[in-house]
Parts: sequence; structure tokens; C-alpha cells
Amino acid sequence: MCLGIPGRLVARNSVEDLPMGVVDFGGVTRDVCLAYVADEVSVGDYVIVHVGFAISVVDEQQAQRALKLLREMGRADELLLIRDTGDLVDGYQSGEAR
Amino acid sequence: MKYLSDYRDGKIARSLVAAIHEAATRRWVLMEVCGGQTHTIVKQGIDELLGRVVELVHGPGCPVCVTPLEQIDRALMLASRREVIFTSFGDMLRVPGSYSDLFRIRAQGGDVRIVYSPLDALEIARRNPGREVVFFAVGFETTAPANAMAVWRARELEVGNFTLLVSHVTVPPAMVAILEAPQNRVQAFLAAGHVCTVTGWTEYEPLAEEHGTPIIVTGFEPVDILEGILMAIRQLEGGRHEVQNQYVRSVKRDGNRPAQDAIAKVFKLVDRSWRGIGPIPEGGLGLREEFADYDAERKFGLQSVAAAESELCRAGDVLRGNLKPFECAAFGRECQPENPLGAPMVSSEGACAAYYRYGLHRKSGGTGG
Ligand code: SF4
Repeated sequence: MCLGIPGRLVARNSVEDLPMGVVDFGGVTRDVCLAYVADEVSVGDYVIVHVGFAISVVDEQQAQRALKLLREMGRADELLLIRDTGDLVDGYQSGEAR
Repeated sequence: MKYLSDYRDGKIARSLVAAIHEAATRRWVLMEVCGGQTHTIVKQGIDELLGRVVELVHGPGCPVCVTPLEQIDRALMLASRREVIFTSFGDMLRVPGSYSDLFRIRAQGGDVRIVYSPLDALEIARRNPGREVVFFAVGFETTAPANAMAVWRARELEVGNFTLLVSHVTVPPAMVAILEAPQNRVQAFLAAGHVCTVTGWTEYEPLAEEHGTPIIVTGFEPVDILEGILMAIRQLEGGRHEVQNQYVRSVKRDGNRPAQDAIAKVFKLVDRSWRGIGPIPEGGLGLREEFADYDAERKFGLQSVAAAESELCRAGDVLRGNLKPFECAAFGRECQPENPLGAPMVSSEGACAAYYRYGLHRKSGGTGG
């Protein structure tokens, strides 16, 4: 739970005033809270995501390496979890929330 | 050197290994405090590779492992209540409490749901206004900003049926507890890179100074760990004890300020008992008074519970670095990942699980170090 997963920010939005964005984790996308990197991140950047929150901006090469390592470590389960719980939050994901 | 061929950056790794052997005039004892590092070390056989000059002791770097039994038991009580939807990170579901685990509670009809983010749990609460949604807020400083935001948002959006069962732990006090234990052998730390991404390392500076202990903020890839070890050895050999940052690509001295601010707004330092280690002064985070309405323990009037650890499990010794997992009599016998007796066998960040997956041969074949 402490390793975090790197992914690429593909879109930014805001949901009920919370800065959010869509992050692509090697094919699986989901919404991520950008509140803690809001001032330093732009679309196209790679971010390290912990439990749905981006906590740092990193460069592409290291993001790819970390992603590969996580796969080797069997942390693919976290990627699956991201996919499987994605629909749970569809409402606020797309920004059309209540 | 049988594992070296597996390294991604074989050349760099080999030269780091050579440099470590060159730098060391004796054998030093280092502790890594990140479960991801433990995993890499055991998987790549780094401990065996460097066994002649470094003893790597695996610290309490797995938040799942140090969540106290009483909190697991409280989670089980809450998850059994009919009005409750109990939400948690997946890692926690197989952690054994005194009498059961969350998976079994779910099989018995409890509404236990795995979420990826605490914001998902909050969303479940908004969609189920007639139910009480409890989120199991565990973890180090890496998950604290996320959990802080969930509570902050719950108040902002006036969600009244959302609470946290808080069991947050903070890393530096645990390092102090380890250093001050009478039987301590640890001479330097590899600190957890992603924890420090949030906290920075200023908090570690007095710690290194007062205890004369080098602390290297280190990443979790093989080359990171080797470089962190080299930096630690060079300090030890040179009689220095500073905080050094190996993981420059993610960690800044001041860490992530907005995340720290969020933690400070919602949580305060509290004494917390770490499973296997015992009570640690200011060793965790609890909700501030202003957020008492979001505290599941208060809302549901949870009293202290009598918790009983498995008599066979030696997790405390493992987490303090006094015992290697394969030295536990239950390791691989009564205790396996599918049927864990203790938390370190549950999470992939736990030391017992790492040895079970990658280091089984060491039990019979010796440590090679
Ligand atoms: S092997 Fe199992 S029983 Fe032994 S210390 Fe580890 S978790 Fe506890």
C-alpha cells in the first residue's frame, strides 16, 4: 500500500471544487485526486499515485521502470483493483457528479 | 552472485556491489524500513549477495503488519453490524484478528467492500444514505493525506454516515523505539522513499544526530537499495551520521507541503500501539477534536477489547529485526500466505510473506551469507 503506482495524467478536471484528473496506468485509466500536486502537474506528466492521490510528479523513464518493477513484484493486483473499482466511482469520475 | 544476472541494470548493480565490498572494513547491521525494499532485497537476494559485509535487518515497514490486533478486532466488530458497510484496502482482509478476519466476516454475511481509495469509500457513503459507511484508515504517512482528504470532504459535503476507524502510524517514532531498545543492533537505516516523498526528511535530522545513526532515504528498486547501502556504509566507515537522500528523483527535503498541511488539519499525533512492537509515544495519528464526528470508535462507542495473539506467532521479533522469518517455527508450516497466523505473512510487503515467496530455500540451505 505504500509503494504507489506511476501513471500518466491524460486529462484534468475538477469535481465539486476538488482538483481531479484522469490517469492512465498502462492501459487502465481512472480518476485520481490532484490536490497535492495541483501547482506542479500538467497533462502529459507522470505522477506517483497512492490510494487514489497523486503525491509526486516524476519523469517518464523512472515511471516506466517502477511500473515494470511493480508488475514483477506481483503488485499487478493493485492495477486490477484500480480497474475493478473504477465503475464504483463513475459518477464523480467524469465530473458529472451530483 | 547467482542473482546478479536478474538485475535490470546489471552493470551498475555489479559496480555498486563491488564498491560496497571495497568500502566495508567490517560487517555492519542495516535496517530497511519499507516493505517494498524488504521485498526487493529478499527477491533479488541482496542480503545474501552482501552477507559478508552487511547484515540487512527487515524493519516494521509494512503498515498492514503493525496495525494492532485490537484495531483488527474492532474492525471485525464493526463489519459484523447490519447497518454498516465496512470499507478497506484489500490488504487488510486476510489479516488475522483474535478470532476471525474480514474475509470470514464477509463470508458470514458482513458487508465488507474493498476500495482502492478512501474517496471511493466516501462515495459509497453518499450513495447509501441509509447505511453507515466505515473506512479502515491504516497506513504510514503515505496514505494519511488521502485519508485526511476523505474526512475533510465528508465534512465539506455534509456526509453524516461516513466515519474512519483510524489506525495510522508514523515512522520516525518507531525508528527511535528500535534504536532505544536494549537489544538493538541496528547501526544505520534505509528510510522509506515514498513515506519521505510526503514528509521530507527534516524530521530525521535530529534523530540521526542524537543517536549517531546514518539515515539514507532510499527508493525500492534494486539499484536504489544497493546505492543506499553504499551511502550508509561510507558514512559508518567514515564515522559520520547524517541524513542523506538516495531517492532524489522523488524526494525533496521538505516533502510534499500541501499533503503535510492536509494531514495536520485533520489529524494529530497520538500514542499508538504497534502490533508486535508495543506502545510507541506519538507513534500514530488520530482525528482532531473538530473531526470527532467522523471517528468510528466514538460513534459506535467501541470499548477496548481483549485481544489475543496466536501463541505460535513471533511477528514481534520479526518486526523488531531480532528474528528472521524462517527462524519462526510456524513459518511455512502452520503459517502460510493462504492461512496466515500473523500479519507479516499476509501482505506482499510483509517480511514473512517475502521470504515465503522468494526465500524458502534458505530455511534448509542456510543463509549463504
Ligand atoms: S512466519 Fe507466521 S507465525 Fe511466524 S512470525 Fe511470521 S507471521 Fe508470525
